[in-house]
Amino acid sequence: MSSRGGKQKKGNVTSEQEEEEQPLQAVLVADSFNRRFFPISKDQPRALLPLGNVAMIDYTLEFLTSTGVQETFVFCCWMSNKIKDHLLKSKWCRPTSPNVVHIITSDLYRSLGDVLRDVDAKNLVRNDFILVYGDVVSNIDVSQALQEHRHRRKVDKNISVMTMVFKESSPGHKSRCEEDDVIVAMDSKSKRVLHYQKTQGLKKLQFPMNIFQHGSDEFEIRHDLLDCHISICSPQVAELFTDNFDYQTRNDFVRGILVNEEILGNQIHLYVTQDGYGARVSNLQMYDSVSSDMVRRWVYPLTPEANFTDQQGQGCTHSRHNVYRGAEVSLGHGSQMEENVLIGRDTSIGANCHISNSVIGNNCTIGDNVVLDRAHMWNNVHISSNVEIHQSVVCDGAVVKEAVHLNKQCVLAYNVVIGPNLSLPDGTVVSMHHPEEEEEDDDDEFLSDDQEVGHSKDKTRQKAFNPAEVGPEGKGYIWKASMNDTEDEELAQCLWGLVLNPDPESDSESEASEESQDRSRSVSPEIDDVNAFQLEVLGTLQRGLEENIVCDNLVLEINSLKYAYNITLKEVMQILTRVVLEYPFQQQGTQLTTLQYTGSLLPLLKTWSPVFKNYIKRAQDHLDCLSAVEELFLEQDTHQTAMVKVLMKMYQLEILEEEAILKWFSTGATNDKSRQLRKNQGLQKFIQWLKEAEDESSEEGE
Amino acid sequence: MELQAVLMAAGGGSRMMDLTYNTRKPLLPVGNKPLIWYPLNLLERVGFEEVIVITTKEVQKMISTDPKMKLDVKMKLDIVCIQEDADMGTADALRHIQQKIKTDILVVSCDLITDAALHEVVDLFRAHNATLSMLMSKAHEFTETVPGQKGKKKTGEQRDFVGVDGTGKRLLFMANEADLDKGLVIRKSIMRKLPRMHIKTGLVDAHLYCLKKSVVDFLADNKSVSSIRGELVPYLVRKQFSKSMTSPNVNDEADQKLKKKDGNANLEIQILSRDEVLLQLTRERSCWNDHRGDMSEAYHGVRLRCYVHIMDEGMCYRVNTLAAYIEANRLAPKLFDEPAVHPSAAISVRCLIGADSIIGASCQISDKASIKRSMIGASTTVREKVKVTNSIIMHGVTIEEGCNIQGSVICSNTVIGRGADIKYCLVGSAQRIEPEAERTNEVIVGTDQLMEI
Repeated sequence: MSSRGGKQKKGNVTSEQEEEEQPLQAVLVADSFNRRFFPISKDQPRALLPLGNVAMIDYTLEFLTSTGVQETFVFCCWMSNKIKDHLLKSKWCRPTSPNVVHIITSDLYRSLGDVLRDVDAKNLVRNDFILVYGDVVSNIDVSQALQEHRHRRKVDKNISVMTMVFKESSPGHKSRCEEDDVIVAMDSKSKRVLHYQKTQGLKKLQFPMNIFQHGSDEFEIRHDLLDCHISICSPQVAELFTDNFDYQTRNDFVRGILVNEEILGNQIHLYVTQDGYGARVSNLQMYDSVSSDMVRRWVYPLTPEANFTDQQGQGCTHSRHNVYRGAEVSLGHGSQMEENVLIGRDTSIGANCHISNSVIGNNCTIGDNVVLDRAHMWNNVHISSNVEIHQSVVCDGAVVKEAVHLNKQCVLAYNVVIGPNLSLPDGTVVSMHHPEEEEEDDDDEFLSDDQEVGHSKDKTRQKAFNPAEVGPEGKGYIWKASMNDTEDEELAQCLWGLVLNPDPESDSESEASEESQDRSRSVSPEIDDVNAFQLEVLGTLQRGLEENIVCDNLVLEINSLKYAYNITLKEVMQILTRVVLEYPFQQQGTQLTTLQYTGSLLPLLKTWSPVFKNYIKRAQDHLDCLSAVEELFLEQDTHQTAMVKVLMKMYQLEILEEEAILKWFSTGATNDKSRQLRKNQGLQKFIQWLKEAEDESSEEGE
Repeated sequence: MELQAVLMAAGGGSRMMDLTYNTRKPLLPVGNKPLIWYPLNLLERVGFEEVIVITTKEVQKMISTDPKMKLDVKMKLDIVCIQEDADMGTADALRHIQQKIKTDILVVSCDLITDAALHEVVDLFRAHNATLSMLMSKAHEFTETVPGQKGKKKTGEQRDFVGVDGTGKRLLFMANEADLDKGLVIRKSIMRKLPRMHIKTGLVDAHLYCLKKSVVDFLADNKSVSSIRGELVPYLVRKQFSKSMTSPNVNDEADQKLKKKDGNANLEIQILSRDEVLLQLTRERSCWNDHRGDMSEAYHGVRLRCYVHIMDEGMCYRVNTLAAYIEANRLAPKLFDEPAVHPSAAISVRCLIGADSIIGASCQISDKASIKRSMIGASTTVREKVKVTNSIIMHGVTIEEGCNIQGSVICSNTVIGRGADIKYCLVGSAQRIEPEAERTNEVIVGTDQLMEI
């Protein structure tokens, strides 16, 4: 990383040579368009939240400036005045700044898409520009990526519209944002993105085959990439957002480009950096890890003691174990700053404190015997004695009274008072804003979350602080994470983001099932023609019933199937009989009682009798049909009583003739079972009845 | 003995029936040596002293009797014959010789012609204590015109997708395009462990495998697997990531017994390459790891590992199509340094023989014959004013005066009549081409050897 300075200079020179008259531009979106930092961001926009005692937007601007950007458009929406004030006071708006910052504010922006549409409408960008969010912390030198991007655009006639910047980071790395867990399929040689997908909640990753048909013979599937949310865009990107008014986020855009690649001919490429640092603070989990990376100097040269914002009194000293102290810090007797600690100016710390991996802002007072581990304390925080804080965020002006214990992932928003003598459980969020009040206030600000609108209008409000929750002297309301989650289908809405708990056990099931699938696949023989034919006939009849197709057409279809599968007429009849008789089981399950079975079968027989009549003509056909009936009822021996009803119906519908039935009854018995079947009382009676009827008719005939 | 070599030489050559109708695939002449010589030579070069050759009776008989087929190898050949009509796959063949297998094995196919450094494959096998390691190579474009083939070769062939990890050694995925109608599906858990996967197409599988002995034992128990490439290898690759392979307590005696009752689990456990205790201890104590990122143990505790060595350059052909056969003939002579013209050949002084041609034993080449970029088999007679370019002439062929033969393959014992003009043809064995015939782009075979439909 020490060579960075030199490299960067070179990059600057070349980019300047290429287009001297065209300054490199950037679009900085100083709004997240989501509520991930609520309720903290209710008082302060996310871009201004301090990270290592410096507002996050300053990191982004420093990154842009150092990479050679000369003109930056900052788009603000939520609390735009605060951002504007901050920027006007900062070094970026001094006349000496190499990077000219334009601030564009509007309350109408609802998404990244709106911003870029506005960029297009105002015709702000003239050339390739860098698109970042106001909460990106990075030291990546993108000039290399920029060069590649420009080269591609020169060679391929503006086909490549975007180059996304990724950092290599293996799964399981703590600075990996679980929400941005992406899988990318790319062409190894051209670095072209072929498939881009968030993997959250997926067990299997599926890649459509058409992405592999681009002539290349080497592809790469990468799951070790962290999206830095830095993209190098061509001016077309803004136009494309205008053309596609449904694009809200960059994700929509990327998906749209990849899907419509064939039509529009646009491509997206990626640039992977190995040694740079780049991350977007998209939730508190990321805030925690980026902040600790900062203190551990991974973002060099953006380090706390560098005071790159050039503000008076921000300077601090750096000593070993990454301990930084601002001006006028007083440390009580016996207090230890173990490692990775950053303390802002004018902060006083009492005796016998134990501080590690923490960031403490300006003007804080900390009592005696305080234990801080992974605590992020902003400015003007007062901590009394005997307090213990683990992995929590304490915002400006918060007061923590004596003997308070903050467990992991607690958040104390602005001006909250907690304690004394209280232990907050994991993940408690306390704010001066009532959880229900905000929803009405901010509906107009965030239409994207409109599913929450009005969900609690008629709830009774409890304006009083609950001492059980925030302590006897406490001020603030507990925010329950679950409150939002009930309506959001996305789990990701909680403040801290998803907890990292890869669940290896859950894999085993799917694996096991897959294995068994494999086995069955390899063992099971192919469906033979007869079975296939049977399935087809079933499908045909089903459709016939649903769409009310005339029986003649059904016969036509079955005939064509007969030829397709090379089935003999006899088999057709047997299969047809079988399919029809099994139809109720097929539709309603095998648990039917005999009564239900006949109830649903008999109307079907009536409907399909023309089909039967078409196939059952000769005497032999009748016998075949009967034997099929017999065969089925031998299998379904619990329903044998239904058989006589079926035969009766078929007789009445003139599908079967009485001679045939009689002949079948007298001669068809070949084995014990069928003999048993014929002893069925109902059947006996039916046969008896038939015989008599025959006698009668023959008598009548005489 | 670390590895036992097994040579599979029972294949019929079903993808080039016209060639293999009379000469079995292992005996097809390539550079005037039978095809089977090349893998044998490959094995001999790296120091094998004994090879188990699985082949058919017919081939064995030819090898032992026909002087033209004499194998010029010093290794001890242990020839095992299998019935030709039994329709045995390569895995069936391995099962057949299971009794002879005492150690891990190296399986080679008889149609492999390569100058690959075999130790690369074996080193992978050793270094990672792999269950399977294999050889692949970048596919070569065949430049020569193929006789009897109308038009260009169709390009819409099904590709094989091979997935390897970031280092390009570990084999993670293997599928044919035909089986991927639902798209390429990879489990996320695999991607979590090995986050970078290269998917390569356009590779040829050299059909050279190092396999653990336990795999052979597994085959013996699992009779449904019949082909190494078609079934066994994909099965092993898939098995790498299934749960039972990673469970830590497989060494547990009781556990094993329990699993033995269950039929399938039994088969799986057989294939486990159980790490020796010392080896396991070494791995535990060592700081070495095969991956970065998460802090889990090397290989993520996977006991079954498949590796592949992909040749970037060099020669690797599988002679299983006519096109590959022709290409191999063009390149094979570079593999050995023997005189291009056999000493026993009678060659007229006034004929022209290109440096890139090979003339077999006891050939007769008459005056004014011109032979360029061609291979002439043993006991072939080439008469006056014959021009042979870019062709393969097998053994015992007679080419009468004034013939012009270009880009063709002439099988054994054929007689080409005087003045015939043959371009890009495949002439079957023992054919008789009438004088002054003009044939272009045809497959000339006897009526009895037309393919049965």
